Amino acid sequence: MSMDQTNLQILANYCAAAAESMGWTLMRTAHSTFIKETEDFSCQILDVEGRTVASPKTMGATWYTGLDYGEVLRGLDYEDGDIYLTSDPYSGSLATHTPDVHLWKPIFYDGQLMCFVGCHVHNTDVGGAVPASLSRSLTEIQQEGLRLPPMRLVRNGQMNEDLLNIIRRNVRLPEQNLGDLNAQLACVMTGERKIYEIIERFGPTHFLSGLEDLQSYAEKQARAIIRTLPDGDYSFSDYTDEDSVNGYPMRIHVTLRIRDDQIELDFTGSDPQLSSSLNVPTGGKEKHSLALIAVIYALYTLDPSITLNHGLTRPLRAILPRGSVVHAVEPAAVGMRSLTCNVIQTAIFGAFAQVLPDKFPASPSNGVSLLNVKTQSASGRMIMASLGPVGGGAGAGPNNDGSEGCGANMSFLKNTPVEINEAEVPIRMLRYGLVPDSGGAGFYRGGSAVEMSIQVFTPEAIVTARNRDRCVFTAWGLLGGRAGGASRFSKVSTAHQTQELGSTDVVKCDPGDILTIIGPGGGGYGNPFARPEDKVRTDVLRGFITPKAALDDYGVVLTDKLDIDQAATTQVRASKNQSELSLFGHGEGRTVFEQIWTPERYNILTQILARIDISWRHFIKNKLFDVIKTHPISAESGVVDVINAYNDLQKSFPNLPVFALI
Amino acid sequence: MSYRVGVDIGGSFADFAVFDENRKTIHTLKVFSRPDSPGSEVLDGVKLLREKYGIDPEKITYFTHGTTVGINTVIQRNGLKLALFTTENFTDVLELARLKSPDMYNLLSRRPEPLVSRDMVFGIRERVDALGTVVTPLEHASVIQALNAALQQGAEAIVISFLHAYRNAAHEQQVSAIIREIAPELPVICSSATWPIIREYERTITAVIAAYVQPRVKYYLSSLQKALKNTGIRPELHLTKSNGGIMTAELGKEQCAQMILSGTASGVIGAGYVAKTSGVEKCLSLDIGGTSADVAIILNGQPHYDVGEYIGEFQIFVPSVSVSSIGEGGGSIAWVDRFGVLKVGPTSAGSSPGPACYGLGGKKPTITDAFAVCGFLGNATLGYSAVTIDRELARQAIEPLAKQLDRSIEQTAEAIIHIALSSMYSGISALVSRFGIDLGAFACLAFGGAGPMMGCLLARDLKMKETLIPPTPGVLSALGGLIADLKNDFVSILYRDLDENCLPEINDHFNRLEVQALDWLRNEQAHDGEYEIIFSADMRYRGQSFELETPVDIQALRRGDITELARAFHHEHKKVYGHADTGADLQLIALRLIIVGQTPKFELPVFELTHGAPSAETRVSAWLDGRYQSLALYHRSALRPGHVFYGPAIIAQDDCTTIVPDKTRVTIDKYANIRVVPELI
Repeated sequence: MSMDQTNLQILANYCAAAAESMGWTLMRTAHSTFIKETEDFSCQILDVEGRTVASPKTMGATWYTGLDYGEVLRGLDYEDGDIYLTSDPYSGSLATHTPDVHLWKPIFYDGQLMCFVGCHVHNTDVGGAVPASLSRSLTEIQQEGLRLPPMRLVRNGQMNEDLLNIIRRNVRLPEQNLGDLNAQLACVMTGERKIYEIIERFGPTHFLSGLEDLQSYAEKQARAIIRTLPDGDYSFSDYTDEDSVNGYPMRIHVTLRIRDDQIELDFTGSDPQLSSSLNVPTGGKEKHSLALIAVIYALYTLDPSITLNHGLTRPLRAILPRGSVVHAVEPAAVGMRSLTCNVIQTAIFGAFAQVLPDKFPASPSNGVSLLNVKTQSASGRMIMASLGPVGGGAGAGPNNDGSEGCGANMSFLKNTPVEINEAEVPIRMLRYGLVPDSGGAGFYRGGSAVEMSIQVFTPEAIVTARNRDRCVFTAWGLLGGRAGGASRFSKVSTAHQTQELGSTDVVKCDPGDILTIIGPGGGGYGNPFARPEDKVRTDVLRGFITPKAALDDYGVVLTDKLDIDQAATTQVRASKNQSELSLFGHGEGRTVFEQIWTPERYNILTQILARIDISWRHFIKNKLFDVIKTHPISAESGVVDVINAYNDLQKSFPNLPVFALI
Repeated sequence: MSYRVGVDIGGSFADFAVFDENRKTIHTLKVFSRPDSPGSEVLDGVKLLREKYGIDPEKITYFTHGTTVGINTVIQRNGLKLALFTTENFTDVLELARLKSPDMYNLLSRRPEPLVSRDMVFGIRERVDALGTVVTPLEHASVIQALNAALQQGAEAIVISFLHAYRNAAHEQQVSAIIREIAPELPVICSSATWPIIREYERTITAVIAAYVQPRVKYYLSSLQKALKNTGIRPELHLTKSNGGIMTAELGKEQCAQMILSGTASGVIGAGYVAKTSGVEKCLSLDIGGTSADVAIILNGQPHYDVGEYIGEFQIFVPSVSVSSIGEGGGSIAWVDRFGVLKVGPTSAGSSPGPACYGLGGKKPTITDAFAVCGFLGNATLGYSAVTIDRELARQAIEPLAKQLDRSIEQTAEAIIHIALSSMYSGISALVSRFGIDLGAFACLAFGGAGPMMGCLLARDLKMKETLIPPTPGVLSALGGLIADLKNDFVSILYRDLDENCLPEINDHFNRLEVQALDWLRNEQAHDGEYEIIFSADMRYRGQSFELETPVDIQALRRGDITELARAFHHEHKKVYGHADTGADLQLIALRLIIVGQTPKFELPVFELTHGAPSAETRVSAWLDGRYQSLALYHRSALRPGHVFYGPAIIAQDDCTTIVPDKTRVTIDKYANIRVVPELI
């Protein structure tokens, strides 16, 4: 069959069939619950250069669309039947933390290399300093478990037993890892079979050109969308509360440059590489999927008919400064890069919101805590179980309230039923539900946060909450919309002592302790004082907001019977100045922070750090924060404070370079 | 003289299948459905049966019906205003669902609006733990308070779903009793009585859907019962159930969760029966209508069962015949995007206005129009003369696309067909990998108005063993109701580790389920015939988050052999997932029982085999594989069992058209099925 515009959709459907078949095979044959339930995996059909041509659309993790295997594929010698793998974040920047094992298989037809099929799964544990291999506290990649550089797993039908033995000796649950590895093998074998069906249908020549046509189709779609966006430079910053255990905030700064049908994302001004595991190992690759996924979300939101493949990234380019948190170099730890990835995403959403505020939503909640508990059963058996994600809703959009409890860049997450948690783990859930007044106020309201409250009954129980964030820096609102509510984490002992835990992510509990996590809320969109009064009333009736918030945040006065007091409402709403709608509605945490750390001060901070040796950067950042925190603040942007502070430090640490700043 | 009648009422047509018990023959009939006046299509049909076949309504001894009224109520969102009572502090079970959004890449994606809004959800002070022990006793006052508020806010029915009610239903029952005392007319549905499974969202949404559709289902069934009575039909109305069985309509009015997929299940049951009779062990049923294309896996005549079938935007978690949607059917509209790429669907012309070639006002080019342009349709009458094909209208609809693509109208039409086929190929491929089956050993059993048109082509692309077109593909659903057995599912949650000590508990639970099941069959269904009981257990390795239904050898258990359970599970796990871990600990989540009360069966008529080839009615010119070819056109009624001929060919009959591609051999088997197998060169 000849390949042209008339038939392109047929090839697209066949490639989708191959990708979906791979995904279902992986899910069906996987051993670990992590893959079957959390769906933390991806699979793809890759062209001979290693670029993703197709991946499943309704299952698996969404972050790997447009994944490029190129750097790890090149330079290896391939024979028909070979299968390779890697899990090393510092070999070609394909794997982005050690639990992710990527596998790929070359597909030959009549002796010619036609394409590759690949997949990755997140293994529950790959050894290292802590169970599950991930912790914010780790400082070097060597602590994060086994790293497999690109190497051969199968040749001539023979498994590389040496490699399997190394895996067995280095991980905590070897049967599970090897079981999942088998599922990955089944996945690429299915992929190969489906590829042969496609080649037989279209012929090798048309198949090869078709893989390019599909990418060029996606490229055209992307360019057509980008061309409708006004040219310009749009900068935005977003923050995490802590850059390490009890650390200072971390900033992701991005400048989105739109020129005709191209986009450049410049991350200059983002935090330096950190001595925690929040680093993202992109290798500085300008089309790295973790740097660009937010743009793909944005393009898809503008046009859900786009083809999800590497072609979408052709008009895109990221600038990822070396030694920054978005381009960490060995031996930086990278285990918790997902927290940073979330902030990269919301920073990019913030930039897009300036481009087309009438098309994009306010910030999603981010800060989704992944709760795990380690405790013991009545018979003394050790139990480790995931209790599920606790986060918040999507940002409100230009036409709708934000999705409640979860959504936007976290849409792929699934929760664990309360009944399963209680049947599996000796805990009691005291509450699981939405939090009133947590969604940012707006003409459209941000998605509400989730609250989970649990009581533990055994001594020495340890609860971990990965990706704690957004206690201080909350989800921003848009076009007059307010920020979402802040996250909270607290422990109440049997003696009714309450302990605020903030961003703590590992908590030791005594019997009877009650832990409560309140997620952050999504940002609101548009002027809340213009939200139709009956919708505000409905929100009160439905418990999404309290009568007090109806008055304070929306200017709607309700009677005791929750009817609208029209006269009072009109009066209150008239008193609100509706002409000054700021583009971004930041929460109190950010506003207070930026009074001291003005964008200008932070810019000069990142400029200074960029000019010193990578190994010094996080240390100096902390020192400068220590100084500025206590230093009397000079007028205006106070750039000079930061420079002076650095110059003082330089005197104490003569290894630091001397700059002539400003 | 006595007759058994099955009726399937869809969006466009109501199909009748009548089995003449004396002559062992089947009559079929199609009339327009009348959504405006439920029941009147049955009157029309019964009248026509008398006119056409001389069937006296008083001689009808058995009447079954498959309906989509339940599913339509959810899709159209015109069900009851419900109140939901949950355990206090867990009122957001519907708002949160299982979190995941339908369109993961879209920042504006939202989960569907819950069927019960949050102001109608009330937390009741009570608590039971995972072992079924009461932690907080039911607080009467909180029930009264919730009930008053619900009534004041206009609740028309109440659903009660408390945590761990699958284990201890006492609180749900107590609340139900309190409500009955205060508001005796108010319908009340308990999650534990609807389908008592673990996982609160799944159990709650199942009960909510059941309650939501109930009044419409009840009204519909009552109208139908009245209509039947008026026509002199005496036997009690039976319904096909989601699980592929039947139950009385009276019970269906109360247990809507069991009948919501009535319509879809019927077709698969019919297909299963045809497959089994025809000696087809492995079969994929392909049901393509004007607005939907569905497939199901059938092994040895038994459809694959699953939970979590989609009802519009929601899933329901009662065991159901597992049917996967693979497209929008013959009405899907073709279009060219701004980059010049030809696309098909997802927009559909539906049954109204329908494809352009029907001449009912549709102007958009559909898949059906593409087949008409290529010369496959319009060679004989379709849909019992209800529809005539105007090929020129189809050409006019496709012409603008052809101009955009710079192709001939025929080339464009064939591309549309291939895109539609490739999209179905994609949907079926996913299913194949999900269940780990090998399609090379499967037959494609095509039915529905458009199934035979696409079945052979799809089977060719999927490299399937053969394609089978039953004698009356348009009315297979109606036939399904005729052969379905009385069938009900029962479940009991254990949720415990599997060890030697659990044998008495297991036997005790199975015994209790058996008593319930027999009560259902003998008393509620008044069935005094043969029956069969199937025992199974939902088990898993500890640490897994999903269960696998494992067949149980009840005799072994009753002999005291508990090890059989573990053996069976490892075997099943290996079969389904490709691996088993015989050293791992097992958890026993639920025990299940299915009771099947056999209804009188009829045999599909068997014909004498003749020899030779049929004579083609005529030859027609049709565009196939890139060129006009002269194809033999057969009328189905001219094909005799034993006939053998070769593709390409077109077979026309009253309710559909079968397209037979090149390089195939066609035989008519002794049941008058068309069997199309690839000819190996």
